[in-house]
Amino acid sequence: MTTSEDYVDAGEAIDQGNLSGKMPGGEIAPPVTAAVTYERILNARNEPHNWLTYYGAYDGQRYSPLDQINTENVKRLVPAWVFQAGTTGLIAGASTYSFEAAPIVVDGIMFLTGWDGWIWALDAKTGVEIWRYKHAVPFDVSLCCGNVNRGCAVAQGKVFFVTANARLIALDATNGKMVWAKTYGDVRAGESATVAPLIVKNMVIVGSSGGEFGVRGHLDAFDLESGEHQWRCYMVPKPGEPGSETWPADGEAWARGGANCWVTSTFDPETNLLYVGTGNPAPDFDGEVREGDNLYTDSIVAVDADSGQIRWHHQCTPHDLWDYDSIAENILFEKDGRKLLGHFDKNGYFYVVDRTDGELVSVTPFVDRITWGAVTRDGRVTAKLYPEKEGEPVHFYPGPAGAKEWTHASYSPKTEFFYVPVQDTGATATRRRREFKESIPYWGAGVQVDAEDMAGSISAFDGNGEEKWRWRNELPMCASTLATGGDLVFAGEATGEFNALDARSGELLWQFQCGSGHHSNPTTYTVEGRQYIAVPVGWGGWAEGFLPGMLGAGHGSALFVFALPEPA
Amino acid sequence: MTTAPERTDLLKELGLDVQNHATLGRVLGTGKIGRASEGSDGRMQATIRINEDELMWDPSILVMPHGGDIDLELVNDDKNTHCALLPSNGDRKFIWLVNHSRGRATLNLDGPGYYWYSSPTGNDEGRGLTGAIVVLGDAPPEARLDRPDQPQP
Ligand SMILES: [Cu+2]
Repeated sequence: MTTSEDYVDAGEAIDQGNLSGKMPGGEIAPPVTAAVTYERILNARNEPHNWLTYYGAYDGQRYSPLDQINTENVKRLVPAWVFQAGTTGLIAGASTYSFEAAPIVVDGIMFLTGWDGWIWALDAKTGVEIWRYKHAVPFDVSLCCGNVNRGCAVAQGKVFFVTANARLIALDATNGKMVWAKTYGDVRAGESATVAPLIVKNMVIVGSSGGEFGVRGHLDAFDLESGEHQWRCYMVPKPGEPGSETWPADGEAWARGGANCWVTSTFDPETNLLYVGTGNPAPDFDGEVREGDNLYTDSIVAVDADSGQIRWHHQCTPHDLWDYDSIAENILFEKDGRKLLGHFDKNGYFYVVDRTDGELVSVTPFVDRITWGAVTRDGRVTAKLYPEKEGEPVHFYPGPAGAKEWTHASYSPKTEFFYVPVQDTGATATRRRREFKESIPYWGAGVQVDAEDMAGSISAFDGNGEEKWRWRNELPMCASTLATGGDLVFAGEATGEFNALDARSGELLWQFQCGSGHHSNPTTYTVEGRQYIAVPVGWGGWAEGFLPGMLGAGHGSALFVFALPEPA
Repeated sequence: MTTAPERTDLLKELGLDVQNHATLGRVLGTGKIGRASEGSDGRMQATIRINEDELMWDPSILVMPHGGDIDLELVNDDKNTHCALLPSNGDRKFIWLVNHSRGRATLNLDGPGYYWYSSPTGNDEGRGLTGAIVVLGDAPPEARLDRPDQPQP
């Protein structure tokens, strides 16, 4: 026997980040976000050297006026630096992670989220890590669509992000230390969080994930200073609330109805409305247990930013039987003096809506193969093929990942074109009724996505829904596009190529193989007058849904940053 | 096939719960279970050991009654060097544990679920030095869904 005095004192466990090769004292970022206010985010396009908010600006255009990199010189683009996010030890949901963030940049400092509760502050010029924060995420959290996170928000000295176990966390942006944390979802009910927060006025706006687990989707607002809850907006009405007549009167279908807001809203300060896309109804494919249109699932919903009240909605796929979430971005633009929004839906149609009152302006298909049903120009929906009979397989286009998944289209006010990443893939669904149990996936079908006979493209559309050009690819395009003032469209491929296309013709001008598939949001910024293009690369997530033929591809976990060579 | 109560006996009989018998190392999840103790202020405490030649954490499943702060004492009674990488909000905690040493770690875990901890040196994790910290409890009432109670599995 030994006594305790015989033991060597191993001391106190330290933060693992202290062992990451950083220079002592180098872990403090300059207070660049201290002066980031609502006013500055409103006018984000006036400071194009920064990428201040998830889409670059409230309008969701994913457009930067920066034009140092242009159609003439883009062929000389080279990597400036690479940040490798690879990690030690076991991670939560190791088989399903994917790198999906939109890097935020403020005055030379980059804020970047990874999967599994990671967030980093990096020197945007050199890629050197300044600080990191890791939230402990339970290994057994319910993740319907992979261990992913889409980014952070910054304002008034803080950086905000969500974690898979449904926490909204505010960190001090200079040192990565927690200021406050709020739980806004119930992990035991299958709720989780993946959204990039949006700052509006004095609020942080976030939405919930978990629609495949039969939850009740919601949007929440918190005070950005104190973390105090401001409002919650449920997207499935309770009995008696407006829209509840579109759910069965008896039973509890509404309580399990889905309609999650798991992608960041856009915002118009003039209408004071948040434009939110909502997810699929649950169960996804078995519609018999939820007769009716199932509002506000699969809808574009306008929510008053101050009260959290729904002002109007347009439902893209009433009584959805194909998992066609309408979570996609609503891009704000103007045409002939009219305030509009453009929305590329998973169901294969491009919607243009008057954003002041929700009036439908036009609907046009943006993918070649649509067999599930038809939507006329005036928005009338006729379902044609759906999993109706128990046990009987039905094949339809597009599959449940949609003609475009959550990844975003962009819009250039210069060319007045939308640039949409298109997935042309079908699937077979076989209805299988199941009883609802909290925290257990609630699909109502067996689903097999086609692993062959697929295609993709970056397609350019004008505001009338007319296709202007198409850059074709053998595989679906599964990453957000970025449009720039240099008349370029950046678009990553599932097989790892990062492409620059001519925004006016669709001609491929430059390509770089990043070694892993793209499923993220490239952004652009300048430091000391040099323009950079940043893109997180890491294939994975719900690959069985959008590209099962690439389930065996390497995951990767790197942020690539490109620039023109510095003059000699 | 076995029933749950027979599982421990069969693991033992087949040599799946020790080093270098049926398998080269210990099959994960075959270790002991322990409960953290709780002080009057809600702060929790537990001791985790590495016993000689077992290449496993004891307990390999540590249960916390709720989310919060826990003070761990980590004891390496083995005659080899190991380490511990532990989940905690802010950053994961790391400590070297040379043979016959004892150290401490303070963790913050904020909610229900299980979290891995391990010794990421050599292939300690594959040999059996992989454990779980289980946090009991629910989401706070204000974060739950406004709906009637639902059936659970
Ligand atoms: Cu869905």
